[in-house]
Amino acid sequence: MYRQKYIFLLPGLLVLIAVILFPLIFTIRVSFSSWDVYNPGLNNAGGAMYARMWEDSRYWEALWRLSLLAVSTVLMQYVLGFGLALLVWREIAARRFFRVLFLVPMMTTPVVMSVIWRTIFHESLGPLNPILDALGIGAQPWLSQPGFAFAAVMIVEIWQWTPFMFLLLLAGLLSLPSEPFLAARVDGAGPIRTFLSVTFPMMGAISVGAILIRAIEASKIMETVYVLTSGGPGTSTETVSYYIYIRGMRDFQIGYSAALSLTYLIIMAVALTLIAKALVRLMVRGAQA
Amino acid sequence: MLRLQEIALAEAKVPHLAGITLDFRPVQMTTLLGRTGAGKTTLLRVIAGMAMPDKGRITLDGTDWSRLPPWKRPVAMVTQQSINYPHLSVLDNVAFPLTRAGVSREAARAQAEAMLVRVGLGAMTGRHPVALSGGQQQRVAIARALVKRAPVLLMDEPFVNLDYKLREGLREELAELLRKEAGTVAIYASTDPREALQMGDAIVLMAEGRALQSGRPRQVFAAPATLAVAAVVNDPPINLLPAEVSGGQLRLVSLGNEPIPGPDLPAGRYTLGLRAEDVRTGGDLPARVVLTEVSGSETVTHLEAGSQSLVMLERAVKTHNLGSRFGLHLDLSRALIFDAQGLRLTPEPAHG
Repeated sequence: MYRQKYIFLLPGLLVLIAVILFPLIFTIRVSFSSWDVYNPGLNNAGGAMYARMWEDSRYWEALWRLSLLAVSTVLMQYVLGFGLALLVWREIAARRFFRVLFLVPMMTTPVVMSVIWRTIFHESLGPLNPILDALGIGAQPWLSQPGFAFAAVMIVEIWQWTPFMFLLLLAGLLSLPSEPFLAARVDGAGPIRTFLSVTFPMMGAISVGAILIRAIEASKIMETVYVLTSGGPGTSTETVSYYIYIRGMRDFQIGYSAALSLTYLIIMAVALTLIAKALVRLMVRGAQA
Repeated sequence: MLRLQEIALAEAKVPHLAGITLDFRPVQMTTLLGRTGAGKTTLLRVIAGMAMPDKGRITLDGTDWSRLPPWKRPVAMVTQQSINYPHLSVLDNVAFPLTRAGVSREAARAQAEAMLVRVGLGAMTGRHPVALSGGQQQRVAIARALVKRAPVLLMDEPFVNLDYKLREGLREELAELLRKEAGTVAIYASTDPREALQMGDAIVLMAEGRALQSGRPRQVFAAPATLAVAAVVNDPPINLLPAEVSGGQLRLVSLGNEPIPGPDLPAGRYTLGLRAEDVRTGGDLPARVVLTEVSGSETVTHLEAGSQSLVMLERAVKTHNLGSRFGLHLDLSRALIFDAQGLRLTPEPAHG
């Protein structure tokens, strides 16, 4: 009788197999072929694609660049999101208005936002450089110099996703019990000490959750780069997913891009697991020690 | 000495504290006694700095506290519901106020551990508060307040959620601890007159945001200044009997009985306060049993005599059947007499 329960799992299981397991296994198979626009189809190329990947410095640079981008933007999103959440957590004037206002960037379509930001950053037609000029800072080569282009991608990412952090952290703050804060005041903790010793440690679990969700999302950064810089100038803002897209969808090197994707998946799975463990140790258990 | 001068606080135009002036001396424990809503908690919150009074001054040994934020006031507080830090271990919970006061981590932990042993939680130091029972959590909170050795210790019905045995034990322990802490101003809010009589060296009666009377517990109990004080300080409640005096004769209006030789008072209306222990069986006033409560070795019986309800306290376990009737004797020689404004007239229990 208990065996019949698996029958009821079947519909979900079939969907799972169709959308996850099959593509994954197929990708593994494809990565061992040299399927491209000249030789389409599943041949047997052994580990040739992986050997090629090993030598492909553009891929490893893109991976390093993505890591840098993801870590720095998620960190900034966390700091800013926490700050904004603290700002509207307690009773302040027009609290509701600000809560909604801070969410606007997240509610707009990423690609549309990137197009708008590209206009803002435009060196001769955009509104940003005249403002900087007026402030005496001077016009900057926002999208034509590697460092600036990287900064521009960072700014857009932070701007777009800080609201998400804000939302999760505000929900976390609002769910905290109020009593420990009363106790802290009587126990001689001022506002800063209360934040460090009470608010921050009690937010440990929700912080880890929020950071991980954002880290998973940030490890796939693609559309911002695609719209804003197309990976340029040169390859200076190219992320892994954007590079894989170029190899697979533009150059049609299906076998090679499968090998790149698979390696990328494994690296990200391992990295995110390690990050998750480190965060839990640091922010949840560390706070309870 | 902790001195409160003309402390007033109103919220939404409702006065919570109406001009309270009190002195609290160290070495003695002062009990704030009053019913729920009397302003006890609000007063403690004002002293701790959690609520800012609209006017008035708070000084400790001459230092003005009025502008100090709560975290700069040398105050420790225990509240009704146990408040602890959920993310810290029991030991770190108790050590927290010490580290805030600048004590080194090791010294703070050592002192915290010693205090936890005193409240009977020596074996629980490594646990988190959620892993403890309600009573244990409250003991952690009490330990956290005591370990600070603050000059002012505020306790807002700290034992109300604990079981009976634990309550008794902790009361004695607390009194013991405070005796050793010379110079501590200890204020204990309670709704229970028995607890107040048992614990405090001094007592302050509160009702409707005012301090009605203060003094030594026995003295306040024996000679309540007003009807309101008599109502708060007596448990079981004091019997209030409307009376008329004319020509040296006293008549109990609600009992409709014959005039008896009364006290030497001007003619007029008065209220007699007769404690439950001064109502006894074996008289000629017919009464009917409405309710009987037996607690421990005492019996409290609620009775009806005509239109007058009466409460009788017997220091023995008695069973009075509901609806049964017997004769009562009212020991009016021990009654307190209050005038029409509720002020007590007879300095000593009245002899009538």
